[in-house]
Amino acid sequence: MLFLLLIVPLTTSLLFWTVRESVRTINIINATGSAILFAVSLLNLKVVLEQGKITSDFFGGIFYIDSLNGLILFATTLVSLLISIYSIGYMNEEYKRSLVNIARLRLYYCLLHLFIFTMILTTITQNIGVMWISIEATTLASAFLVGFYNNRKSIEAAWKYIIICSVGIAFALLGVILLYYSSVISLGQTVQGLNWQFLNDNAGSLHSSILKIAFLFILIGFGTKVGLAPMHTWLPDAHSQAPSPVSALLSGVLLNTAMYGIIRIMTIVNKNMGNSQFTGSLMIILGLVSIGAAAVFILVQQDFKRTLAYSSIEHMGIIALGIGISSALSIFAALFHIINHSLTKSMLFAASGNVYLKYDTKKISKIQGILKVMPVTGTVFLLGIFAITGMPPFSIFTSELGITISAFKEGKYLAVGFLLAFLVLIFAGFSSQMLRMFFGKPHKDHGIGEMNRITPVVLLILLAIITVTGIYLPSFLEKLIKSAGDIILLVH
Amino acid sequence: MDKLAPLLNIFSVGILISTFSLVASKRIMSYIKAFRIQSLILAAVAAIFSIYYLVEENRLEGIFIIFLLTVVFKVIYIPSMLKRISVRVEYKVEKDFFINIPISIIICCGLVILTWYVVSKIPELNNGYNGSFMVQSVSVILIGLFFMISRKKAIGQIIGFLVLENGTFLTAILLTSGMPMIVEFGIFFDLLTAVLIMGIFVFRINETFEHIDLNKLRNLRG
Repeated sequence: MLFLLLIVPLTTSLLFWTVRESVRTINIINATGSAILFAVSLLNLKVVLEQGKITSDFFGGIFYIDSLNGLILFATTLVSLLISIYSIGYMNEEYKRSLVNIARLRLYYCLLHLFIFTMILTTITQNIGVMWISIEATTLASAFLVGFYNNRKSIEAAWKYIIICSVGIAFALLGVILLYYSSVISLGQTVQGLNWQFLNDNAGSLHSSILKIAFLFILIGFGTKVGLAPMHTWLPDAHSQAPSPVSALLSGVLLNTAMYGIIRIMTIVNKNMGNSQFTGSLMIILGLVSIGAAAVFILVQQDFKRTLAYSSIEHMGIIALGIGISSALSIFAALFHIINHSLTKSMLFAASGNVYLKYDTKKISKIQGILKVMPVTGTVFLLGIFAITGMPPFSIFTSELGITISAFKEGKYLAVGFLLAFLVLIFAGFSSQMLRMFFGKPHKDHGIGEMNRITPVVLLILLAIITVTGIYLPSFLEKLIKSAGDIILLVH
Repeated sequence: MDKLAPLLNIFSVGILISTFSLVASKRIMSYIKAFRIQSLILAAVAAIFSIYYLVEENRLEGIFIIFLLTVVFKVIYIPSMLKRISVRVEYKVEKDFFINIPISIIICCGLVILTWYVVSKIPELNNGYNGSFMVQSVSVILIGLFFMISRKKAIGQIIGFLVLENGTFLTAILLTSGMPMIVEFGIFFDLLTAVLIMGIFVFRINETFEHIDLNKLRNLRG
């Protein structure tokens, strides 16, 4: 069951090369592949909920699922399913306009599923070395997706993406080497030397000072991939230049998987030190810097996809802050925020893709009257903007409220003051820049109506999920988040 | 293993010196040559380890395969690929750096001293030769990073990245005598693919911009 999670996306991505001419077959392979993947991940989650964890003996037990990565896996496969269905609508439109030919379409879907494969590999491994390898592989699989349109801007974005992320992650490799070194000198050379379970069980006997340096390097390295400021510079470029479905995956899924890597290593360091002061204060500072940097850039942004990209930096900052505060409530809220952000942001990127296809521009000033031109996309986009800035009744409101309350409870008044001030600025930025796109009359006649029937359906499903989870949290999700929180808090 | 430490120390100093010679060179062809020599020394370090395991413990470790991979890819394939790319995309020799060479060298010395200072503060890292291994290999990483930010052209950045990763491999080999096999292979192939993809992007940048001067890639800001 565990291995199907890897086999399904890999086979799907290879199957596209058997197709010669038919766009229809490509779409069918794409949709079935991601639907099967989602089903498999649900089956695995069921086992995790019943038994606590799934392990295998493969290569000293490198694959391992417990509720922490089960949660990330759930978000990954759910968003991948919805976005690959959205991709059908989006790419068919580009194909119709002959922006892409059949060979490019095949390449796109192949890389898309390869990208999903690498993200799932990151999620289900417990070997920190393999985790590093797969996070680097996510960069490699998505570099061509970022530069997919092959124009000046997208090539520049792809070059920045691959260089900045590879260099950042090279620092994480140094951190992984130091982690392994501390495991070798304290526990001897074993095959399991980099396994999270092994390190976490023996955390007490590792050297604190080496572990601290290792965590610093890993935080910088994986933090580059998470998009924490000041290592975030690749993120707005890559997110704005990639095709919209890819932006949705980059923002909604990729950032979480890298964040998951940081969280895993943080638990080892916390257990070793006996408290979360060292890791917590680093996470809080990086989180606040990211939220602040995002707030400043959102206020002056001219391009709506870049605004959404900066908002991803903001939300990753909020998650880092919640994890850094390290109380039961804040960790629950931060983990819940991971899911909320990935669904809300992928919805927004999907909506922005529809707008881009219709208006053929990403400049906010050139777009007017979305509500009139595309009623469904416009409504979802507008509500999505309220959702992402933390308005009730959407789920992001709930999790941000949880983080704010827990920060007050833990006495982090300075942090919470900054957080609230930045959130106000971000709301101001979003409403002053983005809201004018929705009203008024369009400059040109774009034709009234949605492009196709698939994309609005995906948008409505996502909107329904984030509205419902804002009010009512399904019990399986609650149980999953709670036990994931216990893993971070080291309650066994 | 302790008997080998002085010998390994000489080799790792050699890698550090080759990194300095890289920073001191002006032309792309001489960077490639310096990188090739550096990889050769790295391969020698891996060879020493695999011979040691073969003679003393009579087993063939994964590090032997790392030695082969280093020779095939980093000494032979990647340098000649970079040479081909640079012949195809940039025929003119022009000034490629933001910071001139004497100042670069001084900055690199500063980086070595900084690393030495930080490592000397951590007592756990200072048993035997490990402290000096750590200083040398981490300095190589930092100098590689500095090289990347001080060069304007895409190939300069790729070389900087390769130096940086040579530094991390050196750290892994010297400190832990090789990571678990599957991890070591994964890392090697990841980095190889990264360099190949970067090479492809150099061609694309060259086609779309008619130059590979990254200083002029300034469409995306803010």
